[in-house]
Amino acid sequence: MSKVMTLHDAVAKYVQDGDVLATGGFTTNRKPYATVAEILRQGQKDFIVYAGPGGGEVDMLIGEGRVAAYINCYTANSGYTNVSRRFRAWIEQGKLTYEDYSQDVLMLMLHASSLGLPFLPVRLMQGSGLMKFWGISEEKRKSMPKLENLKCAEIENPMVPGQKVVAVPVPRIDTALIHVQQASPDGTCIINGDEFHDIDIAVAARKTIVTCEEIVSNEYIRRDPTKTRIFGECVQAVVKAPYGAWPSQCYDYYDDDDAALKEYDKASKYQDAADAVAQLKKAAAKAQKALDAKPGDEKLIEALEKANKAAADAESGVKIPETFEDYLNKWVYGCKDQAELLDKIGGSRLMRLKNEPHLGYSTTH
Amino acid sequence: MSDYTKYTKQEMQAYAIAKNIKENQIVIVGTGLPLIGASLAKRAVCPSCHPIVESGLMDCDPVEVPRSVGDNRFMAHCAVQWPNIRFVGFEANEWLHDEDRLVAFIGGAQIDPYGNVNSTCIFGKGDYLQPTTRFTGSGGANGIATYCNTIIMMQHQKRRFIDHVDYITSCGWMDGPGGRERAGLPGNRGPQMVVTDLGIMKFDEQTKRMYLAYYYPFSTPEMVQENTGFEIDVSRAELMDGPDPEIIRLIREEIDPGQAFIKVPKD
Repeated sequence: MSKVMTLHDAVAKYVQDGDVLATGGFTTNRKPYATVAEILRQGQKDFIVYAGPGGGEVDMLIGEGRVAAYINCYTANSGYTNVSRRFRAWIEQGKLTYEDYSQDVLMLMLHASSLGLPFLPVRLMQGSGLMKFWGISEEKRKSMPKLENLKCAEIENPMVPGQKVVAVPVPRIDTALIHVQQASPDGTCIINGDEFHDIDIAVAARKTIVTCEEIVSNEYIRRDPTKTRIFGECVQAVVKAPYGAWPSQCYDYYDDDDAALKEYDKASKYQDAADAVAQLKKAAAKAQKALDAKPGDEKLIEALEKANKAAADAESGVKIPETFEDYLNKWVYGCKDQAELLDKIGGSRLMRLKNEPHLGYSTTH
Repeated sequence: MSDYTKYTKQEMQAYAIAKNIKENQIVIVGTGLPLIGASLAKRAVCPSCHPIVESGLMDCDPVEVPRSVGDNRFMAHCAVQWPNIRFVGFEANEWLHDEDRLVAFIGGAQIDPYGNVNSTCIFGKGDYLQPTTRFTGSGGANGIATYCNTIIMMQHQKRRFIDHVDYITSCGWMDGPGGRERAGLPGNRGPQMVVTDLGIMKFDEQTKRMYLAYYYPFSTPEMVQENTGFEIDVSRAELMDGPDPEIIRLIREEIDPGQAFIKVPKD
């Protein structure tokens, strides 16, 4: 049976409000951006999100207010944005419900989910803030049926009396979103390069949406079973979405889009125009304070002039810097589908991202 | 032409990292300075080392500087592409087998005298739920600090070297001797040193408190105390020599020619 469908239909059919979502990939590598963009366009919300090491894909969901709870271990477009900016701002403003685990524990939790384990004992996080501080209290967890009541619990190892270990819950994933290099209509997937946690979440999730660079026939994909990584029966939807991980990387196919990741880094500083005005005014006030502390300092005078101008220009509407909202209007809401997005990025730019086979990345990205 | 006899603080730090990697060690690196240091070790100072990254890429030898631990640049030039869980299992088994081959570099925003590191958030006027400054979160650091000996990379500033960190992301020696065991952590692993832009700190074998072991040609023990927010013993400090011009040439021309992580001075 063919599972091939459009991205629109896949998301409409398999992503519902309140789902536990898990995204594959690793910060800026093979992140399922095309599917996340389609979710943003369609409007589903209230997700509990597991991203493994997350990047822009989870930052966009957070900034658009679609996340009811984010289970974090690390969130950054590493090399471009040290800490994802909407993630950071929403936490600092007290607007995001979240939990912190170490990456080791979170990835083991996703693996435990793929193994169908009832809970997971680990010897990690002991003595640290990861055990001491809970982002989501036991009481709040009880009102969230898709989360376990406890973040973690120290227990005695029944096999080794006296040994303390840490029990953590096993996620119950509704929908896994992964992007792979090749898939066949029956759902079989080939992943080139590191699999990350993609296989784990594809097995663990009740529904898996696969976007792929290329669809190949069921016969072709079976030519070499050493290359296939996901059993087709774990997959509900197969969607052809070339450059579906853009602006992140896709091993053997393309590199990350330096320009887009830099654009997102800058734009995501500001939620929207009003936030940009407020932040630029705050920056001007800070520059004034710095100068007051060191009157006459030429560098500080210059910095203040610059900050004042930026704040005034933003307030009067003469020049408002690009914001997170603008970025999404341009690259997500402004494109009805992946084909329109590719046209907008442009052929020569996409060609520059193409990986050089002898290197495994692009030297012109 | 760049003057290889003059070097920056960061280049000194990268050299200090490379000097502290030993023969045949398996070195857990991230991106940034530790990667430059490990690349320098692999090429010049200690070629027998095996750099690995927490995404699960083993024995990496990138040609171009990767921007993240999951970068295709790491993936393309490594021995094995494991998923992260295999890396986690590997580091735990190294400890279970009593192997002493791993050393790891981790970074942080705050550190206390016992080497407990915070890379989660700074409470400021708020608390964990709504901190003044939020960072990425643990990443692989907590697991690494649980099972491996670590070398901690920090900027040496008074507000970063403090008596108590807001949040312990990566456990050091906890509250001193026996602290790790009491917390349920391997007692025979822990932070070995802190490499900063002013010097190299080590931990006293008896008290587990940080002391200054080495300062650099451009720093002094007094500068280290001034920039440390707690009392630090500088009586044992020795001068560490700066790098040879050839080392600086390697960093600038071969390891990081694009200046992704180390900027070359303009003059």
